[in-house]
Amino acid sequence: MNPERSVKRRTTFKKYLPYYLMLIPGMVYLIINNYMPMFGLVIAFKDINFVKGIWGSDWIGLKNFEYLFKTSDAYIITRNTIVYNAVFIILNLVVAVGVAILLNEIRNKLLSRFYQSVILLPYLISTVIISYLVFAMLSMDNGFMNNTVLPMLGMEPKSWYNEPGVWPYILTFIHTWKGAGYLCIVYLAAIIGIDQEYYEAATLDGASKWQQIRRITLPLIAPVITIMTLLAVGRIFYSDFGLFYQVPMDSGALYDTTNVIDTYVYRGLMQLGDIGMSSAAGLYQSLVGFVLVLLSNFIVRKINKENALF
Amino acid sequence: MKLRSKWLSIVLAVVMIALSACGGGKGDTAGSPNSSSAGNGGAKEPPYELNVAFAAFNAIPSNLKEVQDAINEITLEKINATIKLTPINIGSWTQQSNLMLSSDEKLDVMYVSGRNYTSYVSKGQLQELDELLEQYGQGIKEVFDDSFINAAKVDGKIYAVPSNRDLATNYGINLRKDLIDKYSVDIDAIKTLDDLDGLFKTIKDHEPNMTPLVPQTAGISFVDSYKWFDPLGDSIGVLPDYDNGLQVVNLFETPEYADFVQKLRSWYTAGYILKDAATNKDTNTALLKANKGMGYLVNQKPGMALQDSRSAGMELVTVPLTPAYATTASVTSIMWGIPINAKNPQKSMEFLNLIYTDKDIVNLLDWGIEGKDYVIESGNVIKYPEGIDASNVAYTLNQGFMFGNQFLSYVFEGDDPNIWEEMETFNNEAVKSKALGFSFNAEPVKTEYAAVTNVINQYKMALETGSVAPEEILSDFNSKLKSSGIDKIIAEKQKQLDEWASTQ
Repeated sequence: MNPERSVKRRTTFKKYLPYYLMLIPGMVYLIINNYMPMFGLVIAFKDINFVKGIWGSDWIGLKNFEYLFKTSDAYIITRNTIVYNAVFIILNLVVAVGVAILLNEIRNKLLSRFYQSVILLPYLISTVIISYLVFAMLSMDNGFMNNTVLPMLGMEPKSWYNEPGVWPYILTFIHTWKGAGYLCIVYLAAIIGIDQEYYEAATLDGASKWQQIRRITLPLIAPVITIMTLLAVGRIFYSDFGLFYQVPMDSGALYDTTNVIDTYVYRGLMQLGDIGMSSAAGLYQSLVGFVLVLLSNFIVRKINKENALF
Repeated sequence: MKLRSKWLSIVLAVVMIALSACGGGKGDTAGSPNSSSAGNGGAKEPPYELNVAFAAFNAIPSNLKEVQDAINEITLEKINATIKLTPINIGSWTQQSNLMLSSDEKLDVMYVSGRNYTSYVSKGQLQELDELLEQYGQGIKEVFDDSFINAAKVDGKIYAVPSNRDLATNYGINLRKDLIDKYSVDIDAIKTLDDLDGLFKTIKDHEPNMTPLVPQTAGISFVDSYKWFDPLGDSIGVLPDYDNGLQVVNLFETPEYADFVQKLRSWYTAGYILKDAATNKDTNTALLKANKGMGYLVNQKPGMALQDSRSAGMELVTVPLTPAYATTASVTSIMWGIPINAKNPQKSMEFLNLIYTDKDIVNLLDWGIEGKDYVIESGNVIKYPEGIDASNVAYTLNQGFMFGNQFLSYVFEGDDPNIWEEMETFNNEAVKSKALGFSFNAEPVKTEYAAVTNVINQYKMALETGSVAPEEILSDFNSKLKSSGIDKIIAEKQKQLDEWASTQ
């Protein structure tokens, strides 16, 4: 249109050409690993038969999705997945930011490192091992709770793996214990990156520690918090399979409070082994996640344009 | 400016070359299988390598390669093929085998578990074997009574062949001999479940740290270990008493089921059942070894007392509580099939034929290398060589029931040398379920199937180990099964069963 403008655009393109080139390997990786497999989404709408192949198999519309919504479990698993993840996101955020701020205040380098490692450690433990740690606490026959803690308090032994009511607390506790350390390091890195001059100026003006945290630290790490939270929101329909499957020892009596979409799909399809139905579940999860990310980004944008992802 | 764009074009060129090199490499690997399978009809054709995948129930042997080489010597000579043994841990078998079947991985012969069989067939993952059996598998057909090989038929066609082993099962209880002797229990008087009450009470009263009854293994309930019905594959719609005039009924609604879980509950509250039974992850023999229990309900077969005594490290006795039954499940639980992407099905079948007819191959697969893993004591009986025992033997698979014809296998010292004759009688005299040979295809009702499977998972272990009171839970269970569509599955099963019966 405007010749002057198009010249300008051309020069900026030239100026950025090396950066575009640097983009290529990453793009190639994304295309091969993340975009090309997307053709596999058709599997969710097909009655897969290996003789006919993926393209040759019959289309069956939304029939693969039916089982996800068929029963009264549909409500329970959706509720569990979303509520647990919502609580996890909030708790992780509060605990991780809180701990990161506290860690930042520890002036002794050695101690600070020590606490960091201790807090991070659970993140590195496999869920299967955690499930046995929990089992050591809660086992009916030999558990620490039933044999030591409860008798000490004068209480009757409890059949932990048959009591759905207590598991929301147990699972939330374990998840926070396991996950907060990792997030905490991300936030700590952001806090360390804040220019010390802000604090010096604030101290000169007589701001208290609490005021410094509220007026300097939190606003300055807000972008990181937003990104981490948006990423977590995008995965709100996925759940930590190990946490919900291994830790309750797959005990059927607990399904009301431990069954989430991933475990439901896994258990329902273990015998059928139907990849059409499992891709249907995967597609449904990513679709909801996608919508939620758009939605929450939109909200963030409304509040503060700078913090939005896109 | 000009210099820079020159540089850029060089960089670009390098990137393009690198990319095209990647593409080229891909093309090469894709081309190679074609070229190797091209030279089939020649006189001196190169030996074909068969990839043989199977589930490993025990530790994968350290000398598997040696055994494989020894087998290859035989197969090279007899069928001009070599094999590559691919054991996969049983825990990841279902997932891994599904992956191998869904991807283009080279796979020529594979173990097929009865649980996955019909779904493999309905998804077209296994090759039809009738013709191959006729041409290259006569040895396999000779091994079996026709009714057993027909049990593997789906819609009148065979897609996998069962291994020849215990093809029937009777249910009963295995008990610790030392405790039986200590409290001088008359085990011959134990004929039914109710007869166990007295025994359990004695143990509970005298051995306070021991629970009389422990579960069989992780995820196996006491109903699984004591079936009075033909589960018709999955226990969703069953034939009580292995007959019922071919009328499929909902197991969970039968009075027998209600009585049984009530019985289990009474045992549980009396302290006769391991408190952690519903979430237990240990095997029965491991629990006995740890002095946690005195016995377990289990599906039995001839020679079982010795087999389990060995893994428990203590002497056990078996007490049968039912006659032996042969069902589709008991016959087809362990089979061998040829996947759809096997490139040379003829060779695959020839190899299968060998594991049903060649004593040397069978014993290599069952026991390992002679002289290293075992030595022949006399005739058909073998034992560990000097300095070797169960704890340090290299060949640890110990799953003779899987590899083709177990009746060709040596008998381990201590076992009954006539075990295979006994087993053959056991198989042939077993009560054959009226639905022997019927396999259910869940495909038409898979939506309901996934939902019902979930409901069963939710209630089964708790109810069938006595961990919860059945009064309220059982009716919850049943109403949830109804709302998930169990009736539709049962109707479908009845329809398929009727169709099957009309072709018999």
